[in-house]
Amino acid sequence: MGGNGLNSREKVLKLLNHEEVDFIPCFSGMGNIVMDGLKKYGLQFNEVHQDARKMALAAKATPELFGYDCAIVPFDFNVCAEALGSKVQYYKTEDILYPSIPEKIIKSFEDIKLPSDPENAGRFPVVMEAIRILKKETGNDVAVGSWVLGPFTLAGQVTDLTKLLKDTFKKPNEVIQFLTPLRDLLIAEAKLYQKAGADFITVREMGTPVDLLSPRVWKSMIQPFMIKMREEIGSPVVLHICGKTNEIIHFMHECGYDAVSVEHQNDVAMSRQKIGPPPKNLLLGNLNTYKVMVEGTAENVANEVRAAIDGGVDAIWPGCDIWPGTPAENMKAMVETTREYGSKKKKGG
Amino acid sequence: MVDDEKRNDILKRLSDGVVYYDEEKVIVASNEAVEDGLDPFDAIMNGLAAGMEIVGQLYEKQEYFVPEILMCADALYGGLNILRPHLKAKEMKEAVKGQVVIGVVQGDVHDIGKNLVKMMFDVAGFTVHDLGADVPLEKFAEEQVRTDSNIIALSAMMTTTMMGMKKVIHMIKERNPDVAIMVGGAPLTKEVADIFGADGYAENAGNAVQEAIKMISRLREMHAKQQLGATP
Ligand code: B12
Repeated sequence: MGGNGLNSREKVLKLLNHEEVDFIPCFSGMGNIVMDGLKKYGLQFNEVHQDARKMALAAKATPELFGYDCAIVPFDFNVCAEALGSKVQYYKTEDILYPSIPEKIIKSFEDIKLPSDPENAGRFPVVMEAIRILKKETGNDVAVGSWVLGPFTLAGQVTDLTKLLKDTFKKPNEVIQFLTPLRDLLIAEAKLYQKAGADFITVREMGTPVDLLSPRVWKSMIQPFMIKMREEIGSPVVLHICGKTNEIIHFMHECGYDAVSVEHQNDVAMSRQKIGPPPKNLLLGNLNTYKVMVEGTAENVANEVRAAIDGGVDAIWPGCDIWPGTPAENMKAMVETTREYGSKKKKGG
Repeated sequence: MVDDEKRNDILKRLSDGVVYYDEEKVIVASNEAVEDGLDPFDAIMNGLAAGMEIVGQLYEKQEYFVPEILMCADALYGGLNILRPHLKAKEMKEAVKGQVVIGVVQGDVHDIGKNLVKMMFDVAGFTVHDLGADVPLEKFAEEQVRTDSNIIALSAMMTTTMMGMKKVIHMIKERNPDVAIMVGGAPLTKEVADIFGADGYAENAGNAVQEAIKMISRLREMHAKQQLGATP
């Protein structure tokens, strides 16, 4: 089956460590909770965001139920914004509603107030505690990961996004000035998660695909921030962007992350060509987390897994947070097809 | 009155000003349109809106991205603010097809697409009440009643939050079946819109207004038929 005798964690870390491998792991650096996992521990979707124990249980249920190779926390986008003073709305309903930020509190650079003691700011300690619990309870077997946003995406959470987007043209220097302290807080956040024991970190600059920003702006404005984060956070670290990314994949790759991660709108065969071969250059992707994973059949999922492997990905990796409503058959089809087809493909050369 | 040459000159400057996000140019051309007596409706539709149509094409071709569109929108609003007060009552009737309540449903903060759709309604002369993003579902029904709007435009970018649309449609239709409700956003399709009981669906901002107008006339027709049926 490939990866003889190795457990999930060892497989993930060998891959991210750029070793030659004869297997394809199935994991991601983004949220991985599913309703079946919540049920297993008697949890509701809306109670897993603020309680470290519940957060950890929700995350570890997925590898336990399906043999997924990792457990990831947190699940929502607002952790760092909260540490910057944003008020987060947590829903009480039974629907799957991710927490959100009703009001953008920061109007300009002067309003940015970094927490004086990040280790105790907002939910950073909750996520850290969840990582510690995961490390203790499952950390020998599966990779425990965490993630931070990129500064542009974080900025879009705390300030008027329309103005921010226009200012990438009108006042690029002001945007850079604005993003710099956010970047530093995000680096601090990533380091806290590493300190708590995270095996790898993913940087999600998902507000910057080609759907929104031009490749030119990505290169001139976003890339320097990504490079700095990569240098400061250290290995293993993955760079992820959702949406259309074929036109910027080489710029993403230039930032020097251990791997780049993309979603279904990325043509992975084309990306593979642009970034070069493994094990030095790693490409993770690119399952469609809704249309295929939730709405598709197990057969559709298996087909998409095979297509991604044929396209040349080094790990099967859902292109965004796994959607909580993903059916169990589809989770199984994802993991099993990756194991079987992945090792066959690796043997076949 | 303006001759053809002058008219074409002003329209071209309005359109170019929008396309090249040159707000100053649009403002100058708009003031000139007013001074020279160019029909303001003509200036809006064949100048500003024509420019925005080109912007839409440039976005499709990935020559323009979202920041560019937003700057074009600023230029366009610069012109609209000058031209709109000069629309005559008759043109207002033609131009003002109604009032729209627009917003992104609860739990969803993706509002870039909604903002583009809103702009298209503004251009077409609708009065728009924008509730923003992450809007509690009852708020749509309340705002409809408060403003007596005839169109509700709902946006959602996530498959879960999309489910909230169904509830909103139900809430509003229960009280007032004549309100036309349209939905849009990446996870939606015509089929889903139908299942939810929406009156209209559009894939992108460009088609949203046309679809809104069609939707209203469909509802009017239906209404007329029902009334015919009621009075033998
Ligand atoms: C930018 C972005 C964000 C930004 C949003 C910033 C903002 N203020 O809008 C941020 C980073 C905050 C974000 C957060 C999240 N996101 Co997001 N995001 C995107 C992304 C990359 C682009 C969306 C976009 O703006 N496109 C550009 C605009 C112009 O296009 P548009 O919105 O489709 O609008 C057009 C049409 O749809 C239509 N339209 C839109 N509305 C309406 C309404 C009417 C009435 C009509 C007629 C037409 C219409 O016209 C518009 C113009 O032509 C998409 C991926 C994608 N490519 O779609 C993911 C995506 C939408 N996000 C997703 C997810 C999962 C999330 C998060 C839950 C992640 C998390 N774990 O927290 C959070 C959600 C937070 C929340 N509570 O809402 C998923 C949704 C999956 C699903 N199907 O349910 C997507 C599809 C990514 C993916 N591949 O999985 N995201």
